[in-house]
Parts: sequence; structure tokens; C-alpha cells
Amino acid sequence: MITNFITQVSTKFNPFSASSKPARLFLASLPPNARSSGGMTIQTQLLPRNSTEKPTLYVKFKDGKEMNLDPSVLGIKSIVEEVDRHSRILKKAADLANA
Amino acid sequence: MPPRLRCTAVRGLSSAIKPLNSRIATRSAALLIPSTQTPRQYATAAPVSFGIPDDYIPPTKPPTARPADTRKAQLLRTYTSLLRTTPLILLFQHNNLTAVEWAAVRRELRVALREVSAPGTESEGIANHTHIQILKTRIFEVALKTIEFYDPSKVKPTTVSAITGEKVQVVHNHDLSKAAWKAVQEATKNGAPENSTYAQLEPLLVGPLAALTLPSVSPQHLAAVIKVLSPSPPKFPAPSRKKSPGYYDMHMQNGLQKLLLVGGRIENKAFDLEGVKWVGGIENGLEGLRAQVVHMLQSAGMGLTSALEGAGKSLWLTMESRRSVLEEEQNGGKEEEKKE
Repeated sequence: MITNFITQVSTKFNPFSASSKPARLFLASLPPNARSSGGMTIQTQLLPRNSTEKPTLYVKFKDGKEMNLDPSVLGIKSIVEEVDRHSRILKKAADLANA
Repeated sequence: MPPRLRCTAVRGLSSAIKPLNSRIATRSAALLIPSTQTPRQYATAAPVSFGIPDDYIPPTKPPTARPADTRKAQLLRTYTSLLRTTPLILLFQHNNLTAVEWAAVRRELRVALREVSAPGTESEGIANHTHIQILKTRIFEVALKTIEFYDPSKVKPTTVSAITGEKVQVVHNHDLSKAAWKAVQEATKNGAPENSTYAQLEPLLVGPLAALTLPSVSPQHLAAVIKVLSPSPPKFPAPSRKKSPGYYDMHMQNGLQKLLLVGGRIENKAFDLEGVKWVGGIENGLEGLRAQVVHMLQSAGMGLTSALEGAGKSLWLTMESRRSVLEEEQNGGKEEEKKE
């Protein structure tokens, strides 16, 4: 997953529901230095066990694009696909600007 | 290439496990091999054996180079033993912590636990045996299933013939046995039963997991752990900057941001973050709870005696009043008779 162009990630999920899986896997796929060198802000809110609130995953990119992904519908593959689709556009622009 | 022979070192969760006091005493499969080997007699001077030597290793199946304690079979044994002996396990999701950050987290945990336990007491032992370790999520899940749905004492012995031709009764009831596998398959055929702890904990077992194991349910140690690893200001404040400057170290803070307390297993029950905090919030630990129970029983006893006394007292009062009324009536009647 291309994480260089993500500036903000905020998630909210109930770990005791199966629909939180994609959100948790997304958090696990962020690199170890995302906060310190990447300047990414990551917020996680854990819901109590009996809450039936839907999990949310919000991603913001360097160009200001915001994405609200629904982990209860999308799997981790689809989420990564969605995020990468925009990241690739930004990467292309960055590569052209540097060249 | 790493050397194939490794020195035995205490590593991994196996050091966190206490030996089981009551092992199920059965005959093990090792008994199949005759203990006393009778030396064979040969007519020739040099004995020639045409069979495969005992230590023969087929070239296509070389022995594994993986250290014994990280093999899957050994991990499963470690986890089942851990789950059977450890009453308090906290599950953390660790999102790509680096080795330096893990070291910082473990250091601060040790410092915080040392603060709550007086040296030379039982609580020091608890502090020394509290570890945070990375788990293999899938194998941990299998181990959880095994201890929940498989009862080794119910396995029937099977008859096997030993090398000597003798029929021997053997019980294969270890956690890697076919019986264990079958029992688990049978129980989870239509999904695990909803009231089982496994079914409650199953959604937690996703992604990278780490387990913090406490050898006994000790609220004050648990509170110390929560204060360090998942601080929430009003009840579980993080250690102050003055008291423990190491906590505000860059590595520690970076590591903390990546550790998520997702749940716990306390006394074989599933607890969420709030539940874990509730257990950690029991004041004065177990001693406090005991004092509360004693107080409750004492006050209940006093209440009981007064209640029992009360019934007798009220009965006596009614009888007394009735007696006085009757006496008055009798006296009054006599007086009336006298008047007539």
C-alpha cells in the first residue's frame, strides 16, 4: 500500500464485532514510522463491546482529498485498492514534478 | 545459514507458564518401545544389520532448522498451557512496533510493576512473571478452541501392539492428538456455540496480536499495566513526567501510540476495554475486596440477629399486650359480676 500521501487516518470500531476486521488490518498495514517521519495523524476510537455502531474509516490525503470508507462493506483488499487508486495519481504527479 | 543445533535459551511465552500441578496421569506412547533391550545373539563375529538404522533421516525430509520453541506444534502446546494456567490475559493489537519501541515498552512496564509491589512478597512474584509477548494469531485461536472444546480426561484408551508384540492400552490425549482435533471439529461444525468464550473472543483474534499475561488476578498490578499501556486520565492517569522520565522517551511514546488494548480474558471470560478497566479499578486489590466481603458478612449477621430477635420480640410484645388485655377483661368481668 502506498502510504506516503496519506496525512490523516481516523477510525472508530468495536473490536468485538467481525466487521472491525478491515479497519484493524488497515491500521496494521501502516508503516512503523508513519507518525514520526510521514507526518501522519492516526486516531483510533474503540467502541464498547455491546455497541452496534458501524465501524468507520476516514482517510485524508496530501492534496486534501477525503475518503470515508465503510469497513463493514469493503474488505481490506478493496480498501487498499481504493486508497491506492488515489495515491497512484498523487505519486505520478509527484514523480513528474521531481523529474 | 544458522547453525542447526541451538543452545537452549529461555525465550518466548514458555517462560511465563507455570507447571501444571495436576497432570492427567496416563500411559504415554513412549511406553510402546521396550525399556530393556535384550541383546541379540548372532552366530557371526560381526553383527550385520540389514534394516534401516534408528537415526536414519531421509534426504528429502531433513530435520527442521527452526528453533524448537517457535515451531507450530510447540507454539500450540505453549499457548494451550498458557491459557490453562494464566487467569488474566490482555490482548493488544500491535501496529508495526520496532524492536527499540518494544524494548522501551517492556522497560516501562517493568518499572511500573516494580513500583506497586513490595520486595519479598507475593506481589513481587506477580510483577516478575508479567510479560508482554507477541502471539501467532491463528495458532492462538486454535489453542483457544482446543482448551474450550476438548476435555483430555474423556479420551478412551486405544489398544496398540508394542514392538515386543504385546498389546498395550495407550491414551493419546495430548493437545496435538487426533482426539483433540476431532473434538474441536465436532464442537465448531455449525459455528462455535455463542455462549462459549471462544465465540466471544474470536472477532478479536485478527491481525497482529500481543498478549500481556499476569500470573494471577491482581487488580493493583492490572491497574499499573493499564496506566502504562493504555492510560485514560480520570482513573488511570499516565505516570508523571517527573516520576518516570523514561515514559516520555520518544521510543516509548511512539510505541504506545501503536499499541491498542482490544480486550482481555479474565478467569476464562471475555472482557472489553471497559471491563478490563473495571477489574483494574477494584480498590486496594484483592485485600480490599476481602475486607468488603467480611464487612458485608458482618453487617448481614448483625442484621440477621436483629431480624430474628425482632420476630421474637414482637411476638412477646403482642402476647404480653394480649395477656394484659385478657387480665384486664377478667378483672373487669369479675368487678362487673361483683357489682351485680
